[in-house]
Amino acid sequence: MAWITKNSGSATVARRDEPYLTDEMKAKAEREILPRFPTKQAATIPLLHEIQHAYNWIPMQAIEELAAYLELSASQVLDTATFYEEFFLEPRGEYTVWVCRSISCELMGQDKILRAAQDKLGIEPGQTTPDGKFTLMHVECLGSCGTAPCALVGEKLHECLTPESFAKILDETK
Amino acid sequence: MALAQPVLTKRIPTPPFGNMADRKTVSYEQFVASDGYKGLHRALSMTPKEVVDLVKASELRGRGGAGFPAGLKWSFLPPEDGKRRFLAVNADESEPGTFKDRMLIDFDPHVLLEGIAICMHACRLDTAYIYIRGEYHHQREVLEHALKEAYEHKIFGDGSMLGKINELSPNCYIHRGAGAYICGEETGLLESLEGKRGWPRIKPPFPAVAGAFGRPTIINNVETLAMVGPIVLNGADWFKGMGKGRAEGVPASVPASFGPKLFGISGHVNRPGVYEENLGIKMSELIERLGGGMRNGKKFKAAVPGGISMGVLSTDQYDAELDFDIGKKYACLGLGTAGVIVMDEETDMVAVARNVARFFSHESCGQCTPCREGSSWIYKVLSRIERGDGTTRDLDMLLELSGSMGAMPGTTICGLADGTNWAVRTIVNKFWGEFESRVKKERYVSLAVAGTR
Repeated sequence: MAWITKNSGSATVARRDEPYLTDEMKAKAEREILPRFPTKQAATIPLLHEIQHAYNWIPMQAIEELAAYLELSASQVLDTATFYEEFFLEPRGEYTVWVCRSISCELMGQDKILRAAQDKLGIEPGQTTPDGKFTLMHVECLGSCGTAPCALVGEKLHECLTPESFAKILDETK
Repeated sequence: MALAQPVLTKRIPTPPFGNMADRKTVSYEQFVASDGYKGLHRALSMTPKEVVDLVKASELRGRGGAGFPAGLKWSFLPPEDGKRRFLAVNADESEPGTFKDRMLIDFDPHVLLEGIAICMHACRLDTAYIYIRGEYHHQREVLEHALKEAYEHKIFGDGSMLGKINELSPNCYIHRGAGAYICGEETGLLESLEGKRGWPRIKPPFPAVAGAFGRPTIINNVETLAMVGPIVLNGADWFKGMGKGRAEGVPASVPASFGPKLFGISGHVNRPGVYEENLGIKMSELIERLGGGMRNGKKFKAAVPGGISMGVLSTDQYDAELDFDIGKKYACLGLGTAGVIVMDEETDMVAVARNVARFFSHESCGQCTPCREGSSWIYKVLSRIERGDGTTRDLDMLLELSGSMGAMPGTTICGLADGTNWAVRTIVNKFWGEFESRVKKERYVSLAVAGTR
C-alpha cells in the first residue's frame, strides 16, 4: 500500500563509517545512468535499485548518501523510496517469495499455494524465516495470468504452480 | 471472420498458426530475415509528417486500455523548437488479466524496438524510455539484449540510421519500475520516470505539450508501438482490412475497431494464453475456438472483457463482441487491454468483487481522498458480505460509494477509481441476486456454495 507512511520522523538511524554508496556505484552512475536523463533526480529509482541489489535492502544512511549525491534532500529520496513496494527499507531474507493474489491466480487456487508456502517456511506473509533465507510477500498481479497461479522467488518466475511443485521449488532454492 | 494471417504473432508461434511450445526469442538476424525493420526503412524514406498521417489514416487505436487513436495523439505535439522531446513506452503491464506485452517482449522484442524507432522519427523524439515494471526480470534481460543488438546495427545511438533528432543522437533506454500499478497511468509513469512517487498529474497540460521533464512527450503502450512497423510496411488499407469497421451510416469521425488485437485469456479455460484475433470477435468464439473451451466441462458464468477495471460481462453476455464499442453495448467500461478472465459456474462473485476491491485499495496511490478511502471501505464492506455479516444496506452503500468516486464523476485526478467503480458496480448489478441472497442470510442458492473453498 503505497500511501501508508512509514515511521521515519522519530526513528534513530543506524550508521556506519563505510559509505553504502560506493565509488564504484558512483562511477557506474556517471557512466551509465546520469547521462540518460536531463535531471539528476531521475536517477533516484535506478540508483535505489543499485543499492538494493548490492545490500538486499536500502538502509536510511544510503538514502542520505544518495540524496547528497543527487543534490536532493533526504526527504525527497525517502518520499520516492517509500512509495514503491519493491524497495525494502528494512533487512529482508536472502530470497523474497512473492505470491500473486490477484483475480486470475485466486480463481486458479492461489490460496492453496500460499498455504503451502506458509507451511513450508513456517511464516506469515510479511515475515522472514529465522535463518534469514526467505521473506514471504503477497503481491498484486505479476502479469502471468495465463499460467496462474504464479509466484516469484527472487527474480525467477514460477508458473502453473501446485502446492507440491511450489514446496519443491522452495526446497530447491539455495 | 477469423484472422487470415498472424501479424504481431507472425514470429511467435500461436494457435491456430503454430504451437505455443515452439516459442523462442527472435534474434536480430531472425527478425530481419522475416521482414523485420523493413517498416523502419520505409518510414525513413518518408517525411515525419507522412508517417504520422499514415498512422492517422490507419486509425490505429491505443492498445493499452483507453483506445485513444495513436496517430491523433502523435499529431498533438507542438511544432519543433529544437529542444528535447521524449517517448515513454508503457511496459508497466500490471492490470490483472493482462499479459500480452510480456509475451511480445519475451519472444519478439525487436518488433517493439522497430515501432519505437519509427515513432521517434515520425514525432521527432530524441530519447525513448521503456518503462518496464520491476517484476518483469526476464523480460528486462531480453530487452537489454535486443537493445544491444539494435545499437550494434545502428538503429539507435551515435551514427544511427535515424540521423540526428533535435541535434542529438537518438537513444533508447530501459527504465525499471519498482512495483506500483499506478505507474501504468501515463502521468504517474512520467512522475516515476522523473524519480518521484508515481502520483498522476492534473491534466491539462497533456503530456504531448508538457510531459517528461516538462517537455513534449508521447506515451504509447508496447502493443501499440509494435503495431506501427507492420502498418508502415503494409499500409493503412491493409490494416483496415482487418478487425471491425464502422457500421453503415456512421460518420468517419467516430473511431472504429480496425485491425488485429492480442487477447490474453486466463481463468477457467482449457488453454489459457495470449492469442491474436480480429477486433470484434465474439467472446464465445474466443473461449471455444482459441481458449479450448471451459475447463472441466463446467458452464460459463462471467468474464472480464479486458483487465478487471473494465467490469464484468454477465452470463447472458457470453456472445459479446470484443471491440472498442463493447462498453456502450454491454454495460461495462470498455475493451481495456483485452485480457479476458473467464469464470465458470462455481465462481463466487462476492469473492471476485472482494478480490478486485482489495486490488484497487492496495494500489490506490493515496493522492485523492475518494479513491484512497472509498476503495478501502468498499473492500471492507465486501469482506463483511463475504463473511456473511452483510446487510441489505451494505449493498446500497456499495453502489453509492462506487458511484461517487472516479475521474468520470469528477472527484479524482486519474482513472484508477473509475476502475474500482466499474468493476464493483458491474459485478454487484449483474449478479445482484447472488449478493442479495448473501446479505439476507438465506440459504445460498448459487452453485458457488459448492465451490473450491
